[in-house]
Amino acid sequence: MTETRDVLLTRLKGEARQIRRNVWRALRGSGSGHAGGSCSAADLLAGLYFHRMQIRPKEPDWPERDRFVLSKGHANAALGAVLAQAGYIEDEVLDRFYGFESPFGMHPDIKVAGVEMCTGALGHGLAVGVGMALGARMQKLDFHTFVMLGDGELHEGSNWEAAMAGSHYKLSNLTAIVDRNHISQSGRVADIIDIEPLADKWRAFGWEVHEFDGHDMEQIVDIFDALPLHGERPTALIAQTVKGKGVSFAEDTYVWHSNNVNDDVYARALAELGEA
Amino acid sequence: MNTAATTTADWRTRSANQTRLAFGQALLELAVREPRTVVLSADTQDLLGIRPYIERHRDRFVEVGIAEQNAIGIAAGLATTGMRPYVCGYAPFITARSMEQVRNDVAYANQRVVIGAAASGITLGVAGGTHHAIEDLALMRSLPNMTVIVPADVDETYQATLATLEIDGPVYMRLGGRAEEPAVSDPGVPFRLGKAVQLRPGNDVAIIACGSLVEMAVRASDALQKEGIKARVINMHTIKPLDRDAILTAAAETRGIVTAEEHHLTGGLGGAVAELLSVEHPTRMRMVGMPDVFAMVGPTGQIRAKYGMSAEAIAEACRSLR
Repeated sequence: MTETRDVLLTRLKGEARQIRRNVWRALRGSGSGHAGGSCSAADLLAGLYFHRMQIRPKEPDWPERDRFVLSKGHANAALGAVLAQAGYIEDEVLDRFYGFESPFGMHPDIKVAGVEMCTGALGHGLAVGVGMALGARMQKLDFHTFVMLGDGELHEGSNWEAAMAGSHYKLSNLTAIVDRNHISQSGRVADIIDIEPLADKWRAFGWEVHEFDGHDMEQIVDIFDALPLHGERPTALIAQTVKGKGVSFAEDTYVWHSNNVNDDVYARALAELGEA
Repeated sequence: MNTAATTTADWRTRSANQTRLAFGQALLELAVREPRTVVLSADTQDLLGIRPYIERHRDRFVEVGIAEQNAIGIAAGLATTGMRPYVCGYAPFITARSMEQVRNDVAYANQRVVIGAAASGITLGVAGGTHHAIEDLALMRSLPNMTVIVPADVDETYQATLATLEIDGPVYMRLGGRAEEPAVSDPGVPFRLGKAVQLRPGNDVAIIACGSLVEMAVRASDALQKEGIKARVINMHTIKPLDRDAILTAAAETRGIVTAEEHHLTGGLGGAVAELLSVEHPTRMRMVGMPDVFAMVGPTGQIRAKYGMSAEAIAEACRSLR
């Protein structure tokens, strides 16, 4: 039975809303964490895990699964939410997210089902993704590798080493997704070290580039369905997003890059996000 | 190009008594034994002698250019897909520059990545301090999950490289430079990970050495023999996991221990031995290696002698433990 486009979009929006609810839930359980960058990525993650990626949550080591590397590992609350909603991990894990002996810390750990690499130190994920894409080619597996990068993360020079290698090896099975929320820990990325012209940079490094609204589920579905955008180039998707999207007091401010979440904050956030 | 596996005579000849080249020769055999072998180069194709490998296995080779961080990250990604990556690099750069990638992507994620690190110690003496690797063992040894191997000659390098097939985790293999490294191991003795090899008996003192200092330790022991001092020589080719039994036995059976390595006295083999003995069997020790300075520029042999990495210095350290 084929899902109609309207049903698909409604379902994905529901998953994205649930991701945001779970992000705030996990952070309340932990007392603090990275709400801003988790919520800016929520719609993109919903489109990946609940539409685009070929995955088997009950068989997380399936060799032909699509790979996702959360290079901006501080958005781990969003990844945890997705993995719980997709059935990789138990839902109750979200309530003890950063607790003693929790499988999840503030950053992803490969020991958790569905997590493909330990990330969080920035500027690591794209090189790992290049390796995965090369590994697919060498073993004649047709999985696709997705790497989500923060825009502030692009200050790390190692990203550009990996970008050079990705185009050199014509890795059309590799997609970088830049969560372009314009804010890092200390303020606006443009004020700290400007990364524009960003699309031109990726093009200059030999990538096929597409910019879109990272909160518009129609655009997300359309671009994910169109991958790969070029038969001999990796794809860089620059998703324009809003840090802390979905909760007014957390939107577009560096204050909510990482902050404390108490019961009152949680209640106000959930009230804005609405029911699952 | 002959596509058959190399014969013993072939690889020995092509290794030219250099451990860095023996590593490259062993990769040819590995590629036959393990089809998932993949070799990465950071613009180091000749440094580790991998052109024969590349000619035969171009589809399992990745050149990343002068980008060590990228080499390690890509290797980790390859390993997650089931490939068995061997990264070829310069010891000073593939460790210090890419330390965070080695730590997080390889060691923390516990991926089967083998790092072949050539031009270690002060083998690039004339290149100056930027090109000396005298802290690499300290860096690599401090990482959980990491195996650290320092072969003493080409036979041990070849065997140890093949032995990495059985190691379920990351490996750091420390290799030499462009000078000949004298044969010191017995090719008939199989390499056993974490099991040191006794090269000379003796119960007066024990010299525990690795890499280039093993041959010097043997010469020191032979010289001391003439003075009536029986110095046991232990080739500690595996720095991690350390052969505790060999060290504790030597400490119990001799008057003292001399460690010898081409590395800072901080954090390398001497440090590892001292950490063990100070807790389990406090023992008089002397440590031969680089003092807490950056080495001067010069030919490797003269730099070694200047900072006390010589057979004479090892012998003198042994005498002081009478």
